[in-house]
Amino acid sequence: MKDIREDIAWAKINVDVMKSLENPRKLYWVILFFALMAFGFGVGCEIYQYQTGMGVENVNNPQVWGLYIATFIFWIGMSHSGTLLSAILHLMHADWRKPIYRFAEAMTTFSLMTAGLFVMVHIGRLWQFYYSLPYPNDRGIWPNFQSPLLWDAMAIFTYLSSSVLFLFVGMIPDLAIARDTMAAGWRKKLYTLLALGWEGTDRQWRNFRVTYLTIACFLIPLAVSVHSIVASDFAMSQQPGWHVTSFPPYFVAGALYSGCAAIITLFIILRYVFRFEAYMTKPILKKIVRLTFAIAMVWTYLNAVEFASVWYSHDEVSKDVLIQKMTGTYAPFWWGMIFCGSVVPLVFAFKRFQTNIPVLFAVSLLLNLGMWLERWMIVAPTFSHGYYPWTWDHEQWPSLVAWGLVFASFGWFTLLFMIFCKVFPSVSMYEVKEMVYHRTLHLKKSETAEQGAH
Amino acid sequence: MSVSNLLENWSQVRHEHPVNDKPHDPYKWAMAIDLDACTGCNACSVACYAENNIPVVGKERFQHGQQMHWLRVERYWEEDSREFPDQGFQFLPMMCQQCEAAPCETVCPVAATNHTADGLNSQIYNRCIGSRYCSANCPFKVRYFNWYDYPTDEMVWPAEMTQQMNPDVSVRSKGVMEKCTFCVQRLSAAKVVAKGEGRIVREGEVQTACQQSCPTGAISFGNLVNPESRVHKQWAAQQVVLDADKQAKDEKEEGPGLRGYRILEELRAYPSVMYLERVRESAV
Amino acid sequence: MIDSGSVKQLAGHPFDRRDFLKVLGWSGAAVALSGCGNTSIEDGKETVVSYVEANDYMVPGIGVYYNSTCAQCDAGCSINGRVREGRVLKLEGNPDSAINKGKLCGLGQAGVQHHYNPDRVREPLLRNGNKGETISWDKAYALIAEKLSGVKGEEIAFLSGGVSGHLKALLGNYLDSLGTKNHFVYEAVAPGVVRAANVKAYGVEMPRYRFDKAQVVLSFGADFLGSWVSPVHFSQQYAQFRKGVNGQRGVLVQVESKMTLTGANADRWLAVKPGTEGVLALGIINALGIATGEVAELVKGYDRARVSSETGVAPGQIDKIAALLKLRSPSLVLAGSAAEGYAHGSQNAAAIHLLNQVLGNVGKTVEAPVSVPFPQMAPAKGNTAALKTLNDGLAAGKYKVLFNFAANPVFTAPGAFKFKDNLAKAGFKVAFAHYLDETALQADLVLPLDSAMEDWGTQVPEYMTEGAQINIQQPLMERLHANTRGMGDIVLTLIKQRRADEYKAFEDYYAYLRGAMLQNKGALGGGGVDDDTFWNETLTQGIVKLAGSTGTLTAHAAAAGLTLPAPAASDEQYPLHLIPGVTASLRDGRHTNQPWLQESPDPLTTIVWDSWVEVHPKKATELGIVEGDIVEVTSKTGSVKAQVYLFPGIHPEAISIPVGRGHDAMGRYAKGYGVNPFQIMDAVFDAATGELAMHETRVNIKKTGQRVLVVKDEGSAGALQMGRKIAARVSTDQVDLSKEV
Repeated sequence: MKDIREDIAWAKINVDVMKSLENPRKLYWVILFFALMAFGFGVGCEIYQYQTGMGVENVNNPQVWGLYIATFIFWIGMSHSGTLLSAILHLMHADWRKPIYRFAEAMTTFSLMTAGLFVMVHIGRLWQFYYSLPYPNDRGIWPNFQSPLLWDAMAIFTYLSSSVLFLFVGMIPDLAIARDTMAAGWRKKLYTLLALGWEGTDRQWRNFRVTYLTIACFLIPLAVSVHSIVASDFAMSQQPGWHVTSFPPYFVAGALYSGCAAIITLFIILRYVFRFEAYMTKPILKKIVRLTFAIAMVWTYLNAVEFASVWYSHDEVSKDVLIQKMTGTYAPFWWGMIFCGSVVPLVFAFKRFQTNIPVLFAVSLLLNLGMWLERWMIVAPTFSHGYYPWTWDHEQWPSLVAWGLVFASFGWFTLLFMIFCKVFPSVSMYEVKEMVYHRTLHLKKSETAEQGAH
Repeated sequence: MSVSNLLENWSQVRHEHPVNDKPHDPYKWAMAIDLDACTGCNACSVACYAENNIPVVGKERFQHGQQMHWLRVERYWEEDSREFPDQGFQFLPMMCQQCEAAPCETVCPVAATNHTADGLNSQIYNRCIGSRYCSANCPFKVRYFNWYDYPTDEMVWPAEMTQQMNPDVSVRSKGVMEKCTFCVQRLSAAKVVAKGEGRIVREGEVQTACQQSCPTGAISFGNLVNPESRVHKQWAAQQVVLDADKQAKDEKEEGPGLRGYRILEELRAYPSVMYLERVRESAV
Repeated sequence: MIDSGSVKQLAGHPFDRRDFLKVLGWSGAAVALSGCGNTSIEDGKETVVSYVEANDYMVPGIGVYYNSTCAQCDAGCSINGRVREGRVLKLEGNPDSAINKGKLCGLGQAGVQHHYNPDRVREPLLRNGNKGETISWDKAYALIAEKLSGVKGEEIAFLSGGVSGHLKALLGNYLDSLGTKNHFVYEAVAPGVVRAANVKAYGVEMPRYRFDKAQVVLSFGADFLGSWVSPVHFSQQYAQFRKGVNGQRGVLVQVESKMTLTGANADRWLAVKPGTEGVLALGIINALGIATGEVAELVKGYDRARVSSETGVAPGQIDKIAALLKLRSPSLVLAGSAAEGYAHGSQNAAAIHLLNQVLGNVGKTVEAPVSVPFPQMAPAKGNTAALKTLNDGLAAGKYKVLFNFAANPVFTAPGAFKFKDNLAKAGFKVAFAHYLDETALQADLVLPLDSAMEDWGTQVPEYMTEGAQINIQQPLMERLHANTRGMGDIVLTLIKQRRADEYKAFEDYYAYLRGAMLQNKGALGGGGVDDDTFWNETLTQGIVKLAGSTGTLTAHAAAAGLTLPAPAASDEQYPLHLIPGVTASLRDGRHTNQPWLQESPDPLTTIVWDSWVEVHPKKATELGIVEGDIVEVTSKTGSVKAQVYLFPGIHPEAISIPVGRGHDAMGRYAKGYGVNPFQIMDAVFDAATGELAMHETRVNIKKTGQRVLVVKDEGSAGALQMGRKIAARVSTDQVDLSKEV
């Protein structure tokens, strides 16, 4: 099977994609409704938490971080695969990425925005959030540049702004198509504004290519650094279970892993909801699945590295934490993480599952559950089993408010993502055309060659 | 307000204590706690509540681990599969160790927790945004976060009870971190008096609330760089050095008769609290 | 935050404090906010707050200190209250007091929460059905006069906690004016049996114990560091005892069935079978082998095999203790719960005192106390025996009028007394109350009292140290509530109803007190100075030190009449001893409504805000109980349900529930937290004194199937350090204490 049919007319591509802006399947509205509900619930939870105090998260004095930080890392992780698909694979000229990189990049942006929310939700005095920004002030007070948390704030902000820029720049030719095909109305005005007067001249294309490539090159180290810095939040601390040298690559691998799994999930949903079967084809899906499998194995390896280094380090306290993870109160979650993260992806090794949509959908959700558990298992056990036995705790079950905000983050992400897909072309029209064109050329070449042989 | 200001002051903002070119002068507050004298009676802890406007959180929040006791008295018993704790329990008053190289200080994103020139690990409530990173990185877990808005809580501080509050100590609202300050309000007051008289604070002139109440005098507190101070003498007698992670006591296999130690010293946080080991009679 | 109300009240008060209160002026100048290190001292700034009517002793921003006396227990520690802007903020110990020398326990410090408590009674209340109706003081006094008229003296009863000083004298006069001798003094957890046994062995109720001189302290259940007699003073002596002389550190051996705070600090804690402490004491005398005559005769049968099997203490341990006692002299042997706990408690105490005698400690570490020159002011003492007499009288319907002050028998009387039912038979019940506690709720008339921080008084401690002293209690601030009154003022008003002429010279209790003190100025050390100077000095000091005389101990512990009962047979239905735990911070439960005390973890279990049942882990395994199980504890008298805490410091044949919690009235911080073990206590008494045998209630425990999370400070690692060096320990042969600072 081929990644894409070579005989799709360019005009049909335009029509198919532009149709997605108008009449998706009913499921779209169902998803939007539930996303809105979940988000609304979260808003309620946050208002309550803001008014009452952080205690409603049900965290306590030794265990000061909980679900919010875990979910924060999860969403940061999610953002990585978008960059992988749009930037890394772009540089590697993997053209099968073309129909899907747009939504992946959108995913990057929105999951970063979701992660950013958790920083807000987590801090005790949201109203003083700006203290963490290095803004000039006449008291000469600066934030603490030694703190990984400050690096975090900066890295996320930079990554988010670059991602938005990358998403936007990559969309300009498509926005121009939308502008040209759309009937008069608010959308036309919007596209006209955003298309920045794109006419498709040779000079514009040349500048566009250079700009796009430059941002892509800029984005890759940024993506790696962001999750490395999130890893530093833990690795730079002194706590057992966190103070691990291999944390940055481990975090990056985990990030790519969960991101790819999320791409599979969204791929399947978009393909159905927006009737993109002709573009988001099973062969492309298969490629993503194989990529995911490879990353899963890398992640598993890095896990093993971490355990082994703890085990052989003679750091008794860290060892205690590890043993506690495996056998203590958190054991079901920890083993759930191992199962979902290392065992479940083995399904991908079987060819017949690599294109089986229901199986892939279920597995992709399980993988992400596993990755979410991984983050929780990084955060929580160190608190409940750290240096100081007197403060060890057994009962840190997150409250309804905490769970509410976690679910709401999924609602918020889905809401942003679904609205994006309805407002902007979620399949890159110009790049699909390129892809089809390249394939046609390739086909013609081989046909000519065949003919020549006769 | 400029970046040059930042660069100029950077070395001041974060200088690790103690360093050779910037010794503690004239103050370095420190403590010594004799565990052989401590009976675990909790008077110190109550004194701390009274002095420092610490909220009483109530049963439900205590159950959730949200208690605010800056000074907690821990109780240990080593089992060795004995039927009874026939050598008694071991009590340990644990409060902020005012580390010289404090793990909490470096991680705060807004520099709300700082080192003062007299060797305290200070917490600026106004500046704190509540990221709780300091507590996450504290090996002793002695930092307490205001999970709720206690000053407005009728059960915690009914109107009548608010009259007891110490006006010298800020009342903390929700969302900020707090911890033992070595009764900095008393230190400041004593320093003002001393400064007015052109001298440094004398030994015994200032006491922390816990030290003041302790019926057995287990807690001593004072200026470590003042050779006259009891704390200085105790540290010296036990050969405990502030900026070391191994002491004379650890050097020999057989104990050289010393009993001063600092908790989790190997982490190189250089705590300012020295404990003296509990003694147990070998004849019974 | 500054309470302008109290400022105004100060200005308009009938007596002007600036005349006689000296500002001690300990505190510093303007101080910085806490938490900012030394970076924000507002040095030299002008005072922003100004008072139109400022009192000269009240400088905004400056704390001043007044001396007074702690009223949280009867030990008589002198306190030093910090007052700022007319409000008392904190209580500290008065360094001039020989008793507490500047120190103060947690219970004492919580006195400010007694004072500022939101649940105090604020108005006189008259019962109207199930409600209390606010009435005026005049009406209340008139009502008392009306109810007393025509009532015979023997039909009037006055129940009180321990009282001393001028209040005791005045109260005595009032009762005399009523023609009644029915003054029942009742303290639920005071050492009644020990006092009686001390009289036999030493000739005094409370000798002076010299922990500081002892090289070994062998305590049979005396929790002298926690709740016994004068814990702050003993703690200071304990510190000296531990330091020892020339590095010879004192050794503490504690013998008891339930570990107390003192037991937790012992070098050797011995869990004995409940009630066999006397046997062990005789066994040690036997092992010492230095007794002669009838004592030797008495202990002959107590060889180590028998003693070991009866007490459960290993034979080798008995030898070790005997050897230690022989080696290090003087030592000090104390009887505590061994005496208070059992029907043969007096016999236990006699055996223990005999050991002290044999060791030759009497006169060395047990000294004669100083005698107070004014016996009429010495504290009135009494335990459950007094309450029993009252209870019997109430049951018989003897009393038409009952007064109650500083006691809460509805809460603390053993359940077997059915005190609440009997109380209902009294005609007219007047309660002088701080809170609407269980007893006040049963009263017909509740009269609200001033707190100890608002009231005048004198207090004479039962346990004196270096010299005799009378403690002064003076107001540290103005009344918080306009309609509370001092107990002295109330009694004075009441006595004026009977003997108006004798007392008309005294406008109020303050005038009475001042008059009384000045009258005796010479004897109080004020000879030769004028009245005002003397009075000012007295109030400034907060203590009147007296030249008391020290005698010698007259009596002698003897073997005659000492018989210990055979070990109690095991009871199939109620196999366990119930040991009510007396904790340092809650005592008998009168201060449970002070939140600092509720949230101050129990030192041994670290439990807060709740009661618990201490069960030995071995016993728990046997019964299939784990921590947090709710069990039903049933005695012959009743049953309570509480959570289990597995505690190694208790004999497997006993369980313990702390007293002090389980209030169903009193206030927001007390009501509904925990259970009250007094409720299920049987009426078993010490044979010799008639006092309640606290540990003799037998119980069984049953699982209810419910389980809760125990609210405590310790984490899931419990008492373990998990191999980390946190609370370190060293044995004496490893250290040289003589070189320490």
